[in-house]
Amino acid sequence: MPIPRKPDGSVTTTCAYCGVGCGFRAETLEGRVVRMIPWKEGKANHGHSCVKGRFAFDYYLHPDRVRAPMIRASIHDPWREVSWDEAITHAAAELQRIQAAHGRGSVGAVSSSRCTNEEIFLMQKFARVALRNNNIDNCSRICHSPTQFGLSATLGAGAASQHFDSILQADVILVVGANPTEGHPVFGSMMKRRIREGARLIVIDPRRTETVDSPHCRADVHLALRPGTNVLVLDSIAHVVVCEKLYHEAFIRERCHWHEFEQWMALVGDARYSPEAVGPEASLDPEDIRRAARLYAAGPRSTIYYGLGVTEHSQGSTGVMCLGNLALACGMLGREGVGVNPLRGQGNVQGGSCLGSWPHMFSGYRFVTDDAVRASFEHDWGLSLDPEPGLRLPNMFDAALAGSFKGMYIQGEDPVQSDPNQNHIMAAMANMECVIVQDLFLTETAKFAHVFLPGSSSLEKNGTFTNAERRVSMVRKVAQPLAGLEDWQITVRMINAMGYPLHYDHPSQVLDEIARLSPAYQGMSFALIERLGSVQWPCNPEAPQGTEVLHTKAFPRGRANFMLTGYVATTERADERYPLLLTTGRILSQYNVGTQTRRTGNVAWCGEDLLEIHQADAHTRGIGEGDWVSVSSRYGATRLRARISERVSPGVVYTTFHFAQTKANAITSDLSDWATNCPEYKVTAVEVARVQAPVVTEPAVREPAEAPA
Amino acid sequence: MWSELRALREDVDYGTPPRDGEAVTLTVDGVPVTVAAGSSVMLAAAAAGRPVVKLCATDMLEAFGSCRVCLVEIEGRRGFPASCTTPVEPGMAVRTDTPRLAELRAGVMELYLSDFPAEDVLGGWSELHEVIATTGVSSHRYGPGENHLAAPVDDSNPYFLFDPAKCIVCSRCVRACEEVQGTFALTIQGRGFESKVVASQGEPFLDSECVSCGACVQACPTQSLVEKSLFEGGYRSADPAQA
Repeated sequence: MPIPRKPDGSVTTTCAYCGVGCGFRAETLEGRVVRMIPWKEGKANHGHSCVKGRFAFDYYLHPDRVRAPMIRASIHDPWREVSWDEAITHAAAELQRIQAAHGRGSVGAVSSSRCTNEEIFLMQKFARVALRNNNIDNCSRICHSPTQFGLSATLGAGAASQHFDSILQADVILVVGANPTEGHPVFGSMMKRRIREGARLIVIDPRRTETVDSPHCRADVHLALRPGTNVLVLDSIAHVVVCEKLYHEAFIRERCHWHEFEQWMALVGDARYSPEAVGPEASLDPEDIRRAARLYAAGPRSTIYYGLGVTEHSQGSTGVMCLGNLALACGMLGREGVGVNPLRGQGNVQGGSCLGSWPHMFSGYRFVTDDAVRASFEHDWGLSLDPEPGLRLPNMFDAALAGSFKGMYIQGEDPVQSDPNQNHIMAAMANMECVIVQDLFLTETAKFAHVFLPGSSSLEKNGTFTNAERRVSMVRKVAQPLAGLEDWQITVRMINAMGYPLHYDHPSQVLDEIARLSPAYQGMSFALIERLGSVQWPCNPEAPQGTEVLHTKAFPRGRANFMLTGYVATTERADERYPLLLTTGRILSQYNVGTQTRRTGNVAWCGEDLLEIHQADAHTRGIGEGDWVSVSSRYGATRLRARISERVSPGVVYTTFHFAQTKANAITSDLSDWATNCPEYKVTAVEVARVQAPVVTEPAVREPAEAPA
Repeated sequence: MWSELRALREDVDYGTPPRDGEAVTLTVDGVPVTVAAGSSVMLAAAAAGRPVVKLCATDMLEAFGSCRVCLVEIEGRRGFPASCTTPVEPGMAVRTDTPRLAELRAGVMELYLSDFPAEDVLGGWSELHEVIATTGVSSHRYGPGENHLAAPVDDSNPYFLFDPAKCIVCSRCVRACEEVQGTFALTIQGRGFESKVVASQGEPFLDSECVSCGACVQACPTQSLVEKSLFEGGYRSADPAQA
């Protein structure tokens, strides 16, 4: 064995995969990244890593990376490589042509949580100053928008209340609809460490995940509920807290509104939420619900971590409110070791939420309809802004299908693979006149694009990410962008080409602008982050070095609010034709739609999406391990291979969505959260049948509409 | 509460985890230093700028005391305690660098080198190589004997390989898998000369419960576990004929 070559350079940066936001030292040899070493001073990871951040970085030099801008007249034409100037001039001219013909609101933009805070901020600025409308949305629409809504409604801030380290002081850990050891592995390791020290664990998840049972880490209570019954079960836990008087009256009287608590108590105290009533409907033992409630309420320090298993439901926002209510009722906020914390999927979902890529909100969660807020942006940007909220992402697709929405600038997102009811999305995409995709690879969405702008990976640009604990960390350029421009530079050129003059020498100037215009980021600057390593918002004159624990003395609105959380069952139900409930998730070695991790050695662990099915359901259908099966729903069908598994209960099947050919989202419904339109990915009624062999082409349920001449 | 995580520094390895606790003052080679109660002598020595050589110790893992190169002398005590497993006490006077200690360390290093690929002793940059440089011991007096030099390399993982020839069985990988990652995929199988690092039930890394987090690779002081990306155009797979 030869002696390994020693790296000759290193740059400290932040991992771009999940919302943990680990610090890494990117080590280079002759300019090429050869390894990523977890940064011991990284406050989110303390020197630890997972297989994605540590090893799966080679995608950045993959041959599939697009290295030059490309345009084409129709999505049926081949791509033609052009110069940056030509691509950008063409894209801007097309958007302007469409706006002239179909109105100012006929185009929009989508930003990505894989991009930096600065890039996300510039994308919303693009929509507002270049398109002159508010048609800007981001991918947290389809994952954690209910968090933003539900936690704001109850606690007053749509973000994690604690820092990750705080879990090392927790006595009881409640994990709902999340699988940290796979989805947020470095945080999962910290959680397991605390459990080995004696903390108790409650897991609410339809699947028997690795979090439920792994070496030296076992859940004291696992509520393997039927998909879609989150709110019912959480209300039932609240019922036990209320009826057994386990709530923290002094905290409620001091920090909340007692009359709201009484209203909430009357609702959840109703007999319909008693464990005995809820148990059969949710496929749970009533005694387990009582044990979970008693364990959580007893604390003394109980903390909640939740994921997309809470938010991606027709009552996603209600589920988040249930968690806020529960923590308030038991006084589990505002101290170390307690709290309510969303585990965010992508590296910068929190930043995506914070920085105004919303049709109704500017950065800092302030409404575009608010005259004073709008005036502050108009003053800074020097033009008048549209006071009308714009279209949400699903509305953009609906409008595209209806013919009133014709152009879209999509940065770093792949909605054709990631968004629900894929056939609907593809038809909408095919109906647009100018789709501009800025990405690393020719994604599924890029198949519907007219302009392709090659983006830069997180190793090729400067900026900041905000992780799931509100921590803003530096992303530093390790290598030159393959196609020459950092993503923020591309967006600036797009804004300029649309006729709005704008110039930044460096992303630090964008962060300065963010700080001017966003209260929570008021004290942030590259200099401060460089000095402290990372900074958690809110960062302002009262908290010049940032804030680890929220709500210690008061809530943002003074007192917190109990929200009424009545259970309304989803209309997506199993019946004779579709007797199984499909739920979806992710695994450790692959990330999201897989465009990055599928192009790395991680395929050694997971080379395809599999359908997990219980032995009982498999047996009655004649399905064996590894058999190809069709999965059909009311919306579409796909085929994949089966894995017989005890992780799912009878009646429930599960798959991941990492591989484009799986088309997992061909079967998901277009139902969504009542408040935020977050799709109901987690519940789809399906039938599974054994099929003979893999098929090469999938029959589309709905043919994409013809592109207009 | 947080020192074990937040007092870690990129450019220093204190050898054992930082602690919270009352201040304790001692001297290391005459240099006064104040550390938290519960800290090891090894940590105090590093804080005093008099770091002790170490192989099985690193500050992300609890002390283990197996490698025997971190020995020190403590005034008023008999013998040569391992600095990693000895807690600090007020007024302690520690010596890290005496002729007797150098002799003992040299003896231990010779034993390690007697079962380490000779062609890799010079030119490397692992922690073992740093200790070789610090102690000045780069050869040994032992003749050919039983060794692990021809043990097959496990290159099943796409990102790292395990070359048992370079393994000193310090257990850092095993402990990282337990303490840092919490997966418990690795263990030391066998006793004495037969001791070896195995994944799960002696399976290839890829087929084992290993989740490839990389904690073991980062912990390994000898590059017995090492990233494949550091080899030119990949690496040469194990060929017993070449070994």
